[in-house]
Amino acid sequence: MAHEDLIKEAQESVLSQDKAKAIDVANRALAAGMSPQEIMNEGFIVGIRQLGDKFDEGEVFLPELMLSAEAMEAAMEICNAALPEGESQSRGTVVIGTVEGDVHDIGKAIVVSYMRASGFEVHDLGRDCPTDKFVDTAKEVNANVVGASALLTATLRKQREIVEALKEAGIRDQVKFVVGGAVCTQGWADEIGADAYAKDAGDGIRKIEALLGL
Amino acid sequence: MSKIWTRMGDGSAVEMTPDELRADIIAASEDAADKGRVPPLEDNEVEKLIEIFSAPWRVIGVEPGHEVPLTKDETACTLVSSQLSSGAHLPISREAAVEIFERVFCFDTMELGWIDYSFKPAKAMVSLDQVSIERLLATTVFPVLYGAMPNMGLYYTPDGPFTNPADLLGMMKIDEARQEEMKAAELCMEDMIYMCKRFDEIGADGIDFDTTASAGDADFWATLKTVEELKKTTDLGIEVGMSGEFILGMHGEIEYNGKKLAGMFPHQQLKVVEEAGADIFGPVVNTKTNKSAAWNVARAVTFVKEVCKQATIPIHANVGMGVGGTPMFETPPVDALSRASVAMVEIAKVDGL
Repeated sequence: MAHEDLIKEAQESVLSQDKAKAIDVANRALAAGMSPQEIMNEGFIVGIRQLGDKFDEGEVFLPELMLSAEAMEAAMEICNAALPEGESQSRGTVVIGTVEGDVHDIGKAIVVSYMRASGFEVHDLGRDCPTDKFVDTAKEVNANVVGASALLTATLRKQREIVEALKEAGIRDQVKFVVGGAVCTQGWADEIGADAYAKDAGDGIRKIEALLGL
Repeated sequence: MSKIWTRMGDGSAVEMTPDELRADIIAASEDAADKGRVPPLEDNEVEKLIEIFSAPWRVIGVEPGHEVPLTKDETACTLVSSQLSSGAHLPISREAAVEIFERVFCFDTMELGWIDYSFKPAKAMVSLDQVSIERLLATTVFPVLYGAMPNMGLYYTPDGPFTNPADLLGMMKIDEARQEEMKAAELCMEDMIYMCKRFDEIGADGIDFDTTASAGDADFWATLKTVEELKKTTDLGIEVGMSGEFILGMHGEIEYNGKKLAGMFPHQQLKVVEEAGADIFGPVVNTKTNKSAAWNVARAVTFVKEVCKQATIPIHANVGMGVGGTPMFETPPVDALSRASVAMVEIAKVDGL
């Protein structure tokens, strides 16, 4: 089967949230001599970007995003296994949580799903997460990105605390710090020295990709 | 070229040239038109918005005869809540606070609500609130409503008995997540009906469901079914105020009268709210903090204009912190707030705010 057909099938498997099809296409693509990078970058990742556009347009919703993430992860596992040692295709490691004192997590759940679907390794710290946990987990998993969500004006200041804690731990320069949440603004992100402000899940992914040079 | 002093969506001051203002307004209207599949603003409406934002005065108002009535959410928390909840923390009773809204602020209606302004925590206080409503009905002239948020998220762990669907979705347990959402919706509906009937007993003029659909499509469904039941069994007037311009599809497949709730924009939300039997609809359009106030107002007015065009019930657009084109700021600047309000009345043609 021509490589173009396999690329199209890969895109469709993610768009249709079909894990079995994604696994099948990944295996057939490798058997047909395609490189893991090619089928991932041209096929599955393009498919997840198209799904992201549909999510932004309100054509698909959170459950579909999760199912697509599952299909994507299954395909990535097969492709990564075919890569030489040390060339894993995880696009980055992200640690994300809702800050201490805040229990809102719907928006964060969307961001987590979207990031997993986009090929990131995501460590979700949950809600009401102490500042230390952001830092400790970032060190433990060697994170590239730390994301903090706050939905209350009263808890927004915790995002500043996290920046300071990252500096104290000596890892501020090793991670990109991204903030978000309904009360968060670009001005606030600039004030506390965050690397980016994400106004929604799609914006967050694009900014993280830009920060990591993807 | 002279510059126009205005605001950004986060409340910060900014100066824009007339061309920048015009470009923002047109771009915002087109964004709303594209997202919501509604008509963009017409040329004369764009010019009217430019006029509103170019006005040199801090506070502007509508033309005489165009005044509209006000309803209010978040009860009297503006006066009695702590600063952390955007209140003034005055040492006065909630009843006195409501009377101040009538006699000093000249509001047309007002609502009483519990400080913890959601149906679930307020349920424990319902008998206390019944007494307060009864007292207010005797001491005020304007309609007195009871207000609270469905806030269905409180029915999930750690606050409630049902497993958080966000956690279940993360474990790819889609069916289980949907089941928990429906269980939470049924219990939320039960609580809301119970409470609202208590206020009907005492003679309250109406109920305001605030920030409806904050937990997604199941939250919206629970509120619509509650409204349906209340209109059949009580004489309460009902206002449904939304939480966002877009219904989040946490479940993704819930329907009301054959219409999928996930993904609905304001003019679509209106239709199911009308079908449920509500008397007033309060659309919400969320402010983007990194865009200008003019951009945000233009976008909000484009959405709400279509709501007003299709409505068979009065439309009271939500205009306040972070909604209706108003900056996301605890004390929204009066210049931005008055401009958003005037635009809603003069261009979107709302029946109230």
